[in-house]
Amino acid sequence: MSKLFIDIGSTYFKVAQDGKIDQYFRDFNKNILDDLNSKCSDIISGYKKEDINICSSANGGLSTLIIGLTNSFSLTYAINIAFNSGINIIDTVLYPKIESEPVPSEEIDVVIVVGGIDSVEKIFDEKLLNYLEKVNYQNIVYVGSAKNRGFLEENLENVVVLENIISDKLKIQEDALKGYLTDLYQADIVGKEDIKQLYEITSNQIFSTPYIVNRSLPKINERLDVADPFIVVDIGGATTDIHYSRDLVNDNIISESGYDRLVFKKLGVYKSRDSLVHTAKNNEFVFELLEHLNVTENILEEQSEKATRTLMQLAIFLVLYKVSKHHGQYVELNLDILNSIVLTGGITKVLTQEEVDDIVLFFYKKILQFHHAPTTLLDSNYEIWTYGIQ
Amino acid sequence: MSSLLQREREIIVKNEYIDRFDFDEVEDFIKGASKDLFISHKFKTSSEMLVQPRGGFPTYDKVFQLYKEFKDANVDVLPLTIDSNTRLNDYASAKKMLALSEENDVDMLNGYPLVNHGYRTTRKMITHYNTPVSLRHGTPDARLLVETALASGIFEIEGGPITYLLPYSKNFPMDKAFLYWKYVERVCAKYSELNEPINRESFGPLSATLQAPAIVIVIQILEMLLSLEEGVKSFSVSFSQTGSMLQDIVSSNVIKKLSRKYADQFGHNDATINLVYHQWMGAFPYNKEYSDSLINTSTVIAAMVGADKIITKTRNEAFGIPTKEANALAVANVKYTLGMLKGVPQVSDEEEEENLTNEVDEILEAVFNDKADTLWRKVFNSIKKGYIDIPFSPHIINANEVITIRDPESNIRILKKGNLPISDKSFAFEQSKIKLAEGERVVDKIIKDIGIML
Repeated sequence: MSKLFIDIGSTYFKVAQDGKIDQYFRDFNKNILDDLNSKCSDIISGYKKEDINICSSANGGLSTLIIGLTNSFSLTYAINIAFNSGINIIDTVLYPKIESEPVPSEEIDVVIVVGGIDSVEKIFDEKLLNYLEKVNYQNIVYVGSAKNRGFLEENLENVVVLENIISDKLKIQEDALKGYLTDLYQADIVGKEDIKQLYEITSNQIFSTPYIVNRSLPKINERLDVADPFIVVDIGGATTDIHYSRDLVNDNIISESGYDRLVFKKLGVYKSRDSLVHTAKNNEFVFELLEHLNVTENILEEQSEKATRTLMQLAIFLVLYKVSKHHGQYVELNLDILNSIVLTGGITKVLTQEEVDDIVLFFYKKILQFHHAPTTLLDSNYEIWTYGIQ
Repeated sequence: MSSLLQREREIIVKNEYIDRFDFDEVEDFIKGASKDLFISHKFKTSSEMLVQPRGGFPTYDKVFQLYKEFKDANVDVLPLTIDSNTRLNDYASAKKMLALSEENDVDMLNGYPLVNHGYRTTRKMITHYNTPVSLRHGTPDARLLVETALASGIFEIEGGPITYLLPYSKNFPMDKAFLYWKYVERVCAKYSELNEPINRESFGPLSATLQAPAIVIVIQILEMLLSLEEGVKSFSVSFSQTGSMLQDIVSSNVIKKLSRKYADQFGHNDATINLVYHQWMGAFPYNKEYSDSLINTSTVIAAMVGADKIITKTRNEAFGIPTKEANALAVANVKYTLGMLKGVPQVSDEEEEENLTNEVDEILEAVFNDKADTLWRKVFNSIKKGYIDIPFSPHIINANEVITIRDPESNIRILKKGNLPISDKSFAFEQSKIKLAEGERVVDKIIKDIGIML
């Protein structure tokens, strides 16, 4: 018996069966289940609940704040696990500077506290409690030194204590936290009526779409003309996700998957359009890029199809720029050895292969001084997620 | 439509540092290449141990001159050692350093940047000398390098996903190394159908520091199986001089016996397996006369273990990269010594052989019993679990729980077995041989054992 895969996105949903994928624009006047049933009840009724798998990015996902002792280990490891679990990171706080750190204004789904190997004690004190008092959060999890568990358990109601994510040999231990965050996503969905109703048609766990995409990456080059190391770029309306092969980075993390995820929170072409335009205007190369595209700066203020296309091209450039060696951030990818770039999401419906190739080559020529650029592939059928959900 | 492998190859060779790569032309070249370029052919047709030195310089001219010296010394197999930047896929730095080396006549690289030179240029040199060339590198992602090497006429490729990763790299992702080497094996297998087989060789010395023979042999057999399952037909297992003549002889008997056994067990009865012996890979004495003695001794051992190929060192080893003259002299001396070693008697130690055989079988059984569905993933999981653990590996995935020291006869013994899945009986045998002097600290003993030849 074949399976039915459904991906609920913020603007449309996709239904895949026997390798065939159909896409439907969401009707926001209906709840998700009604909308789904009105468009493909014939398909859905042909499957048992256990043969239907669903992933979703429609409920916005979980948000997290990470408080860690060091950048090298605590924060790096926790960020890595959170991203790979499909979580959106609102902010990170370096504990030694916690007294001067701003407090996020939005509600946080889960706060992650981490620091030290198990033999280290007296890491956290009143400063942590004072800071947390000002944070509006739903859950808190501690994944740091075992010798500090007592302090957190005594002082923080409902704190969940899990295995330290840093081993005694300073290696990452991701299983416990990853499992917790994935389960929490499930609980988060359950709390959201719209998604919860989907359990009427499936008996399987609903996962976040980024988590599923990440799981699909080891299978991509068995099915598509892509050579490792590659990146998958998903430029969305509000955020941009990059999934990258681990040999593009030089860090000391050994995780289960050979691919990691990185999210740019304010790099999207619809909801984060203003932020994207602001970032573009502050990039010294963008005006040359606009000239290359034969448009003027005014296009950034326009609301037209042409403007959207240009913004998407800019987004590709800015994403590559932000992960390049010219922009030291959380992750720096070695783009010199990149063989392929896969673009997925709504951008593949708007830009042509030539337009994408043009921008990527512009980036490689202008920023890396290369004459050659990696091959690009548009996931126009948006099928990558189906490899991970199976 | 072309195969997925071919489509991946098309992407790999479209690189900033590569001129147009003409697969059809390369295939024609390999089809018509002289059989003298294939070491697999030389193994088949030669009754004597092949001698191969080490060496590589940045510029074409210097390598050309080096090869001339080697040929004058009657070398059997030429080496091409690749520079460190290329090993890390940093072709941009290699290009800059090559230009500086060419302009200033100073070696700014520790080897030959093959990708930057390109296959059209390098092939001229390889075909000029018409002698097998062995590619020595240490690259986890060797796809482009190996494509270039094969297109150049280099038909022996050293390395593998374990032996070119764990001893060399700190954090390159191991699952990627397995997949990248799978590509290499497939390309070698594909070209093997055109002429004589491409020979693959594993790198047995590992970190070259107190390596327990059981671990070395397990890794040799696994890399061999990973290669043969992709269609490679000629494979060399290897190990380096341990510092104990007896242990070398026992190791060679066991590696020959078990590599054949497992190759056959996995259905690769048609594969040829060769044995390669590395002269001492640890720290060399500063006294050059002592170095000569060490090199001579290892040549004698190579004859005793019946190696198909010996890889040589020079008396300058303690001082840096040897000159071409010193290198050629070393080859000539090894050849001279080998000439005296005809009809060497067969010796061994049954008890030692039995224990080593058991250890290798026990570890391999645990690897094969891993629940993964592919061999490479079984091996990958076994490394993560510490079933395979290379002492002194810098890689963060390596368990580094195994501790080895020498017994009074200089044999390398397992003092702490970490998660090695060897039986209590096998471990007890190892322990029974270890004798620490009263009050002697293990760390001091290890330091002394590492520097045994100093």
